[in-house]
Amino acid sequence: MDVSQYLEIFLDETSEHLQNLNDQILVLEQEPENMDTINEIFRAAHSLKGMAGTMGYKRMQTLTHDMENVFSEVRNGNIKVDSDMIDILFQCLDALEQYTELIRQTSDEGTEDNENLIKALNEILSGQKKGTEPAAKEETAAVAAQEAPSDGDKWKDIHLGDPEKHVFREAVKQGKNVFGITVKVQESCLLKAARAFLVFKAVEEIGEIIVSSPSAQDVEDEKFDLDFSLLVITEKSLDDLIKAASNVSEIDKVTGGVVAVDEEPAVQEVAVQEGETTAVATAEIASASNEKTTTAPAKTEKKAASKPIVNRTVRVDIEKLDVLMNLVSELIIAKNSLVSATEAQGSASSAVNEQVGYLESVTTSLHESVMKVRMVPIESVVSKFPRMIRDLSKKLDKKMELYMSGEETELDRTVVDEIGDPLMHLLRNSADHGLESAAVRKERGKPEVGSIFLDAYQDGNNVVIEVRDDGNGIDTEKIKKKALDKGIITPEAAELMSEKEIIDLLFHAGFSTADKVSDVSGRGVGLDVVKSKIEALSGEVEVKSSFGEGSTWTIRLPLTLAIIQALMVIVGDEKYAISLSAIQGIEDIENSSIKLVQNKEVINLRGSVIPIIRLNEVLDIETEKQDRDHLIVVVVRKGDKLAGLVVDELIGQQEIVIKPLGKYINKSKLISGATILGDGEVALILDSNALI
Amino acid sequence: MEALKTVNEPIQYIVIKLGDEQYGIDIRYIENIVRMQRITRVPKMPEYIKGVINLRGEVVPVMSLRLKMYLPEDELTKNSRIIILKLEQGAIGVLVDEVREVVTLGEEQIEKVSYSAYEENFISGVGKVGEELISLLDLNAVVGTTTQA
Repeated sequence: MDVSQYLEIFLDETSEHLQNLNDQILVLEQEPENMDTINEIFRAAHSLKGMAGTMGYKRMQTLTHDMENVFSEVRNGNIKVDSDMIDILFQCLDALEQYTELIRQTSDEGTEDNENLIKALNEILSGQKKGTEPAAKEETAAVAAQEAPSDGDKWKDIHLGDPEKHVFREAVKQGKNVFGITVKVQESCLLKAARAFLVFKAVEEIGEIIVSSPSAQDVEDEKFDLDFSLLVITEKSLDDLIKAASNVSEIDKVTGGVVAVDEEPAVQEVAVQEGETTAVATAEIASASNEKTTTAPAKTEKKAASKPIVNRTVRVDIEKLDVLMNLVSELIIAKNSLVSATEAQGSASSAVNEQVGYLESVTTSLHESVMKVRMVPIESVVSKFPRMIRDLSKKLDKKMELYMSGEETELDRTVVDEIGDPLMHLLRNSADHGLESAAVRKERGKPEVGSIFLDAYQDGNNVVIEVRDDGNGIDTEKIKKKALDKGIITPEAAELMSEKEIIDLLFHAGFSTADKVSDVSGRGVGLDVVKSKIEALSGEVEVKSSFGEGSTWTIRLPLTLAIIQALMVIVGDEKYAISLSAIQGIEDIENSSIKLVQNKEVINLRGSVIPIIRLNEVLDIETEKQDRDHLIVVVVRKGDKLAGLVVDELIGQQEIVIKPLGKYINKSKLISGATILGDGEVALILDSNALI
Repeated sequence: MEALKTVNEPIQYIVIKLGDEQYGIDIRYIENIVRMQRITRVPKMPEYIKGVINLRGEVVPVMSLRLKMYLPEDELTKNSRIIILKLEQGAIGVLVDEVREVVTLGEEQIEKVSYSAYEENFISGVGKVGEELISLLDLNAVVGTTTQA
């Protein structure tokens, strides 16, 4: 959690309140006795104070606090409104506006204390005998609240799982204290989540939050009523802890006690905490993902110039974006129809052609913009992995280190949401099966600490995520034996299988090579689930391995799912689309340069031998054009494998909208979908991956 | 089909022709009837799947009722129609020779057929309208099995 994500809300609301105050004070100037106006002003000032305090803007808070005191006295009838006072109030509003503007630009309130204004406000107050009383009252009330006896120690209700219990036992062994606290925020509190964040932060300064109820995520999303409970490991005393939490303003009360940790001898096992969203982990994720606005506004003394400017943002429901994306798809189909209609007319005026061309470029940019809006960095998913690997390292008793790169790589939101589990499976797989024990590593002359790499990068219209380890690699003999034992393959088939085919057995449902079934991996559900999940996202997963040196798992995902750039080709009298992202190049090949290797047609393309696939044969199309002297070959790529697709004619590049073929035709492996052409005809999209 | 189990309400059927025979399709499953249009062939599909069409921006598969029911290949005429059925698995078009009329059949007009000796049975009953007999199609049997093809 990080207050910076509330900055936008804060700025918006502050502007609103300031405007409101301006209006109301103007009214007050005319009707000094209007109680409604005075109450309204008091409320607005109070809200402003609360929000400024929440965001850690001390100077703003001080100024609004003093303004509030003045209004409070006015409300109680102790001070009469006069024109001097109105002047000062307006000056205060101007000062507040300056703060707000500074915050908008630099996310810092600056260093102007506006002492003269505060002094002037206090003079108004001191003109009255009872001037300072309300503030004093407030303070005593706060102290009283802290000391109020606990009536609902909700932290006692937190259910502890084994992992937490173990962590607590460890902590107690190390002489640390385990406390539970329940924090109740005031009913009038405006930004509960932000308050909660400040409490989390204050507590984390003196200890480690192990459990939060509701979860840190829920607290962050403001999914709690008025209280939340934490279990904390700290070296400090309970009083220190409660003091730290209750120092945050607008906190009603904090109650706490010692968590009883049973001292039963623990089984030597630390279950993985991957499911648990601990406060620490989420805090890391949130602060990392808010890179652009992470400025820790609480630390106001930093130089203003070094702070990034706040981006003005709007939060949008993903469903609205889906609707937008669908509309863009429809627009592109309509545009394509218009293009082909004008082409069919032939004699269209150049003005029409020009406008159609303009429309084309606008729809393309529109599509790109909508796509960009849907893109989010994979960081939000991968940032939980270092913690997971740390826990796995302890659990498996292997030393390992995770190196990540390319966390900023962006993918469609829906893909990012789905990619977490498969990646987690692969990482666990590497940690459990891939890396050897320290002793074996030493024997093999490898560094004792195993390395796991997670690299993400964009490659054309694809995003590639690689999970790599320097462990044992894949033992093909072992897999073969296992597959035979399980009856997945026959002994005859096993003899004929290539190394790659054997490795692909790993993705077979119900396959697991772990000799010992552990709860880390080896349930035999992992890899086939990984494969099907990635394929559901129109992606693919590949594995390369060399025995004894390690393995690399490569996930390749399309940047976008709905609209692609494609090359339209003709085979016989049928039109097909081939995704541009898969195309390496287009070659004009002489028929005579085709050679036979193992009875398969290949060509030698600038030194590399690539197989030739005659689309008319694969797709059962009758055509005579492929007997010509010159053949048009579209070279497509899958991973680092190439193949040449022989087509009759090229139509050209086109932006196409992918439509599903429906459930009746899902058996067709060669076809990944269909699209509607400008003239209303349906063309099929070739899945070049399935051809290779 | 549940349509035939809720016996009391008369059911409307669209009567179509395949060759010389008349068949009835429960109107509640029919979304649309469109004229013959260009069908894009999908490779590697069973013969009775003719391909896909563009139905107002959606791609819908089309199957030949004739081929599915082991009748001779369709002859396309100006009377040929594609009936778009909305079933649980999604929309699918079926190619028929001709669409004739809509009839309403009450329970007493429908004669259930016992399972015939044929391996596949596409008929759920026979409706009698005057002198004519209409074979009522069991849509799940006709269309549903294509997924296993």
